[in-house]
Amino acid sequence: MSRHSDFSRSVMPHLDAAYNLARWLTRNDHDAEDVVQDAMIRAYRFFDSLREADARPWLLTIVRNTSYSWLQKNRPSDVVPIDDTSTLSADVVTIGHASPMETNPEVILLQSANRKLVNQALDDIPVGYREVLVMRELEDLSYKEIASIAGIPIGTVMSRLSRGRDLLRAALEQRMRKAS
Amino acid sequence: MNMKTEGTPEPDIARDATYYRAPEALRERVNAQLKDMARAERGPAMGRWMALAASFVAVSFVSWNAALMTASSRDGQIENQVLAAHVRSLMVPGHFVDVESTDQHTVKPWFAGKIDFAPPVRDLAADGYPLTGGRLDYIDGRRVAALTYKIRLHPVNVFVWPDAAAADSAPKMETVKGHSIAHWTRDGMRYWAVTDAGPQEISRFAELMAAG
Repeated sequence: MSRHSDFSRSVMPHLDAAYNLARWLTRNDHDAEDVVQDAMIRAYRFFDSLREADARPWLLTIVRNTSYSWLQKNRPSDVVPIDDTSTLSADVVTIGHASPMETNPEVILLQSANRKLVNQALDDIPVGYREVLVMRELEDLSYKEIASIAGIPIGTVMSRLSRGRDLLRAALEQRMRKAS
Repeated sequence: MNMKTEGTPEPDIARDATYYRAPEALRERVNAQLKDMARAERGPAMGRWMALAASFVAVSFVSWNAALMTASSRDGQIENQVLAAHVRSLMVPGHFVDVESTDQHTVKPWFAGKIDFAPPVRDLAADGYPLTGGRLDYIDGRRVAALTYKIRLHPVNVFVWPDAAAADSAPKMETVKGHSIAHWTRDGMRYWAVTDAGPQEISRFAELMAAG
């Protein structure tokens, strides 16, 4: 078995997962393609470092690192450090106040099935929260896997998921208000 | 979306957010790229084994000291890996550097979190050897920092990794297959510099780097 065919068998099946994470981190099709191509080259170079049976978390770690390097270089303002120690979710306030009881029928109509708004809202929140939500909800990774990929403690994964959901809800409300 | 009692919509990411699948064109590009890399690998790999075999033969002829033999053949092995990594870095377009900068204060922090040591990054622009960037590479079974410089138009790779057990040593120069290689140890870090510039050039470059 050559290295190349081993790689094709164990890593290439996760190309969709790689693209999905890169796409959510860069928020752009074209940039995501560049990042994934670069990440796959790195993955091939470091293929010997793959020890686990499941290549997906390993590949996603490389994709995440590549995405962050890309963001730092091209859109440094996207990479805001997260203060995991603060108890009050100040970020929620900056994105938008939770509105009081929403009874507007238009809003309720919009709520019925608006993938577009959810996508936009998820794009609105800081990348550090977006990535844990994407890894948990769309990739169905365990807390432990997410912790290892993002290089943060499991407790932090849980608190970011929780705060990320609050932020997403606030961002969604704001998007809905704009749309209506 | 469920409605919470206070009227806050609860987005269901798994259901409502898009799972972006890799476009077919990307899949094809990646496959083509991997094929190229696999092909490039097969060439140098042969040379590496031949050179390794040759270095074992040469060493066993000249060396009376078993310990010395082990050290030299290990250096020979590293030398071949260093050369292969250098050639490979120039073979894949755009992969000589992952962080492109002439500023040591940009290049050094780039490595943080990617490797478990901080490579000393020196600015030799005033001596005519501008820093061009850095990337990660894999030598001697571990992740290493690759710092990239230029000697006039010749790209230089300086591979750096820690070896706490190694004593400081002055640069040793070698010429292998038209490439000039210098290696030295300083403050618990091993350095291997490789370029296709001439031996005098790498010698001066290595002395400056090692002078710290």
